[in-house]
Amino acid sequence: MSQQIQFQDLGTVVEDLHGLFECWEDDEAFLPPLDTFTREVMKLAIHEWVANLVQHADFSDRTPLIQLVVQANGKSVRCKIEDNSRGFDFDLQLARQHDKVVETTVPPDRGRGLLMMIACTENLRYHQPSPLPSADGHHRLEFSISASKKPWIDIPF
Amino acid sequence: MSITIQNVAADTAVVCIGKALDFRNAAEFKQACQSRIDGGTRSFVLDFSGTGILDSTGLGAVFSLYRQLTPLGGQVVFAAVSRPVQVVVQLTRTYKVFRQYPSVEAAQQQLLSRSTSNGSRAGAA
Repeated sequence: MSQQIQFQDLGTVVEDLHGLFECWEDDEAFLPPLDTFTREVMKLAIHEWVANLVQHADFSDRTPLIQLVVQANGKSVRCKIEDNSRGFDFDLQLARQHDKVVETTVPPDRGRGLLMMIACTENLRYHQPSPLPSADGHHRLEFSISASKKPWIDIPF
Repeated sequence: MSITIQNVAADTAVVCIGKALDFRNAAEFKQACQSRIDGGTRSFVLDFSGTGILDSTGLGAVFSLYRQLTPLGGQVVFAAVSRPVQVVVQLTRTYKVFRQYPSVEAAQQQLLSRSTSNGSRAGAA
């Protein structure tokens, strides 16, 4: 089972995304084989990344393009989210989040999105053309979620 | 995505989260709760019925409220938790921090009965 959709309006992409999720539920698009918990984790992970793009991605003067591909295979799902922003240093941002959230006595209100995604997904990879920033390349985040694994997020709140 | 708050007692408020508590309205949530805290509210019932998304920023705002209320003897409880929110609660083991009630009414009843009980004990002393 596969779903593919594109978004181009950063002002409405999150609402559009959740409208899409509702349609998938109504159509039982991923039933079977994904169970409820796995589907909700998938939606959360996709939301966190799209939220990251909306808040922080630099699309410069180009029309934003976010393409979502979701493929269910057995009892796991693989997601790919591609965008045409200028990209960013994923590892550096992840390290910064870790320092701000984990290595602190008073956890901040924000800045846990990447950490949450790492914790509740598997095989997460951020593909980016080099060198950064990219003038015309596309960046792609991929991850999978397995129904057999019940993740939990050990991040200070 | 408007969040509504209604005081059901002098020190207890019900916050209707609505469709989402996420990066888009977390600041609104915090401001709305802060104004109630300034007015003496100490107990907050977060009504998550129909909530489709509680993301990391939204949950961070809830914990910020919790950290602010705890030194004041206040509390935050969850009510009518929707399926997506329940998954977040399980993922983050937030159930260890925030008591959950099946409905807003059940939460109100418990909080208000505790408030009355505390008042009785204070009166007896």
